[in-house]
Amino acid sequence: MDQSFEIPDSTDWLETPLSLLAPFESSLRCQVCKDFFDNPVITSCSHTFCSLCIRRCLSTEGKCPACRSSDQELKLRRNWAVQELVDAFKLARPNVLDLARRENVRLAKGEEDIDEPTQKKRKINQVEEQELQVPEANSQGRRTRSQRSINSSAEERTVPQIVPEVIEDSQDDEEYMPEDGLVACPICFRKMKEEAVFPHLNVHQQEEEAPRKTPTKPTSFGLLKGTSQRGLTLPSKQPERLPAINYSILKDNALRKKLRDLGIPDWGQKQLLQRRHTEWMNLWNANCDSKCPKSKRVLLQELDIWERTQGGHAAVPSPFTTSNNVMRKDFDANEWSNNHDDDFKRLIANARKKSGAQVRSIIPETSPSSSRQREPQPQQDVGLPVNGARVELSPDTDANHVIDLSG
Amino acid sequence: MFATKRLSKMQEHLPPGIAIVKCDNLEEWQMDIKILDQNPLYLDQTYRLKFTFNNKYPIEPPEVQFIQSPASTGTPRSIPMHPHIYSNGIICLDLLGSAGWSPVQTVESVCMSLQSMLTANNRDERPAGDKEFIATNRRRIRDINFVYEDDNV
Repeated sequence: MDQSFEIPDSTDWLETPLSLLAPFESSLRCQVCKDFFDNPVITSCSHTFCSLCIRRCLSTEGKCPACRSSDQELKLRRNWAVQELVDAFKLARPNVLDLARRENVRLAKGEEDIDEPTQKKRKINQVEEQELQVPEANSQGRRTRSQRSINSSAEERTVPQIVPEVIEDSQDDEEYMPEDGLVACPICFRKMKEEAVFPHLNVHQQEEEAPRKTPTKPTSFGLLKGTSQRGLTLPSKQPERLPAINYSILKDNALRKKLRDLGIPDWGQKQLLQRRHTEWMNLWNANCDSKCPKSKRVLLQELDIWERTQGGHAAVPSPFTTSNNVMRKDFDANEWSNNHDDDFKRLIANARKKSGAQVRSIIPETSPSSSRQREPQPQQDVGLPVNGARVELSPDTDANHVIDLSG
Repeated sequence: MFATKRLSKMQEHLPPGIAIVKCDNLEEWQMDIKILDQNPLYLDQTYRLKFTFNNKYPIEPPEVQFIQSPASTGTPRSIPMHPHIYSNGIICLDLLGSAGWSPVQTVESVCMSLQSMLTANNRDERPAGDKEFIATNRRRIRDINFVYEDDNV
């Protein structure tokens, strides 16, 4: 696969020795957009989605996409723990994946070696990998990364390379416990009696919370403002959320004025106005869930993308599915007739056949040639029933299509 | 934009019996599915599905139907016999309608649902009114108002 076009995916792990990270990564991804959670929020039914994804779902259907229980946008709550998990994992991912892939290469090489008589040497390598792997790493021209190569070769024993110390610590604790009966605090590693750990942890928690409770002294939390803590502090000025509107009680012009007041485009029919307002409300309120909200200008750009892909400027998928396309000002009659020349001819032929048959059956003396004289005018008439021949654009299709748009 | 993000994920690890035939754009994909158990109705057969996505996918369901492919193409495909599959390939399945669809569904999950829908079937028949339906239906799949009266199959 083209490197520049590679899209990170949970399946990236499957071919590495860390294949168990695939389900781990899937669980950090939104089930709707399949990307990493972006401003995750939790529903009343305890499912987590990107804020924008679930808002779009709820404004369409009013149901949780995972379990179909009804929910409301107002009940969504931010899920910052998940946001931090995602941020931390995204940060670690390239390195971990790189290590895992290189381990793969190394294992593949190892298998080749087994076939050769150097099998014994490989076994020694695995025992004394540190000393013996260094020259190998250097020979590959990765002098600066030799340290990592050592780690990757040692990976068989300490597989989750990101947290090797934690594992060792916990192992040590289990070993040491029977000796002095003391337990180390997981934060400051001070040894203490087991019963004392939980009260002691509260101290740490208070220390951590203290600066958050006194945001009036911003100098005091310079240190805590590291990446992991940033998610826990509220942005200084929260943008205000937009309320939902009951569109049915608003007249076109009132809705148009609302859109104008919000500073978003106000052209189009009421249905388009509704859809645009809903999308804007979703974009805006999802942005309110962000720990670093985007500016309104950026949101307006996103609305513009929506306008071009799904809104008033969206390309019409198939001309036959939307009759109102014909009514548009920029409708290109020539192109339309070129594209549908065959269709027109076929329809005309069908219509002729039918009308000829009808005329003959009703008025036997009328010759087929006379029916040919009043053959239907092509092109624009095509949306209407032509001499009794039903054309694709039946009224109920149109009605359904209109309903379709409101969704 | 939404769809782009999702569809451009190459699905290299597909469930058994499911293969991508064509996915070179984001409007239409074709998939081949096989029924893996010993159901005699579908033994040793491969069926081809056409997925048509609109720009509201995955909020709105894709259009999914079986398509035929003549033997001359080297990959003969027929429309599977099933009391909910019309002979023109249109499928009557609630999860493909707007009421039954959920945005968490994927191309794979739809294929798997169809696999299990076929696996569970033992009736070698078409839906009632198949002939009239295929003769008269000119609507797009999404505009058809199916009535899901039969929950057994």
